[in-house]
Amino acid sequence: MSDAAILTEGFSKSFGARAAVSELNLRIQPGAVYGFLGRNGAGKTTTMRMLLGLVRPTKGSARVLGLDPTHETDLMRILERVGFVPQCKQLYGWATPAELVRMNKAYFPRWSDEAAAQLAQRLEIPMKTAFKKLSVGNQSKVALLLALAQGAEVLILDEPTAGLDPVMVDEILRTLIEDHVSQGRTIFVSSHHLGEVEQICDWVGILEEGHLLLESRLEEIRQEFRLVIASGEGLPAVSSTDVVSATADGRFRRYVVAREAERFAAELRSQGATILEISPLGLRELFLHLVRKEDPCTPGNAGAKAAPVSSFS
Amino acid sequence: MYAWKCWRESRARFIFLLMMFTATAFLFTLQPGLEVRNGWWYFDRSEYTRDPATLVHVVSLMVLTGLLTSGFLSAVFLGATASGSEIEPRTIEYLWTRPRTRTSVTWTHWGVCVAEMVIVAIVPTYLAAVILGTLTRNWNLSLLLVAPWMMVIVGLPMLGLTTLMTALRRSASGGLITTTAVVSVYMIVRQLVTVPMHLNLPPLFAGPVIWLMNDYQPYAVAFPWGSLGRAVFLAAAFPLAAQYLLKRAEV
Repeated sequence: MSDAAILTEGFSKSFGARAAVSELNLRIQPGAVYGFLGRNGAGKTTTMRMLLGLVRPTKGSARVLGLDPTHETDLMRILERVGFVPQCKQLYGWATPAELVRMNKAYFPRWSDEAAAQLAQRLEIPMKTAFKKLSVGNQSKVALLLALAQGAEVLILDEPTAGLDPVMVDEILRTLIEDHVSQGRTIFVSSHHLGEVEQICDWVGILEEGHLLLESRLEEIRQEFRLVIASGEGLPAVSSTDVVSATADGRFRRYVVAREAERFAAELRSQGATILEISPLGLRELFLHLVRKEDPCTPGNAGAKAAPVSSFS
Repeated sequence: MYAWKCWRESRARFIFLLMMFTATAFLFTLQPGLEVRNGWWYFDRSEYTRDPATLVHVVSLMVLTGLLTSGFLSAVFLGATASGSEIEPRTIEYLWTRPRTRTSVTWTHWGVCVAEMVIVAIVPTYLAAVILGTLTRNWNLSLLLVAPWMMVIVGLPMLGLTTLMTALRRSASGGLITTTAVVSVYMIVRQLVTVPMHLNLPPLFAGPVIWLMNDYQPYAVAFPWGSLGRAVFLAAAFPLAAQYLLKRAEV
């Protein structure tokens, strides 16, 4: 038994020759809010599905609340204790949210009617309209309600706010923070909205083509991570274990450095480089640098601030 | 709760089938006494007392024909409805992330369908038996009392086949169409190979139906143990195969 809420070791999944997830090692502590980021097709949904027994891993192992999702008996105990909101929030079209609540209540021993009623009111869900007649936003809200009211110890949310308006997104994030984060529940959430992730998460993992590029505390990213832009001849591709990524274009090189950026810059200077910029990185900038190396200069990106930087792309 | 969900999802088709076959059995039973006089429908009860034994037999055969159709239709339509909509992509994620094993999901759905099939077979047939017995005062209605149970046994492989095809196709409509296609192709192939190739593939329903239709000469045809045994075997084999497929399936 492991003390991590979610633990994966060498977790991999291939569909034919294509590797969707490769050697994934995650360790999510109980009470953590872990943002799982990546581009479309990076392997986030596949990972979540493997953790819930919907897809069998090709290699490696996983534990959710200390239980093995590939064993049916363990899986049933996992599903009792884990709430899941899938990317595609499609439930029985004929059922009203009230009927769905009644059905779910029977499945989960820790179901809270009170929480369900509060959420329904707070999220303004029409409880007596058939699911298929609800707007996409309301369908997402119903899926969230069902996951949140089941009293789960771990919530696995695959793009939970997709299709919701900003007011509802804010309401849901506040609900997550107030009702779940404050109670020490673990949340494993994937989202393309990095602002949302920054709002609620304390850990982030960035996945690209099935590989975990980075796993770090969000606070550490804010305080420690820096973008170092240097120019010069024969600069090293990577000269330190602290360098998370390095991209080059001619004489210029951009380094994302995890810690001690000044020391790293001094090293580069000693090799004859000119340091053009050392700037802090937000989550969005870091994400873009890691997953979109060929064209990192987009509005809002740190790289777009200085003119010479655009020449790196 | 999952049984309630299966019932809730299939109840519209179940009620439709029940009403349709009840109305058909009712019409078959009352039809001998109906006649038109001066442009008006009249019901002549004396028709039922003139030769009650023959009338009971004729009406029973008509009801049996309806029962055959109801067995096939209820197996296929109910089987595809209850499992189909949720093993389609998307809703499957919801169902399979509830703490219920795929085995229990498969067999709960199967059990609800069997219960519905029994009701669709029993209610119209026994209703016809009660009306017929009352009108003819001949309560020798063994055919009508036995027939629905035999037809349910014969219908179970069809239900199992629909469950299997729905699991294979991961679609309610796909399961329904494929089952109909498999049965049709089998019947055509059977016809094609019987004469030129001297092969005798087992018919789907013939054994029990022939036996039931010879009800007035109970020893003329042997009891269809073979057909019923085959039906029971397939009735178990198809859902087990569906269960295996669903257990192995990934989303």
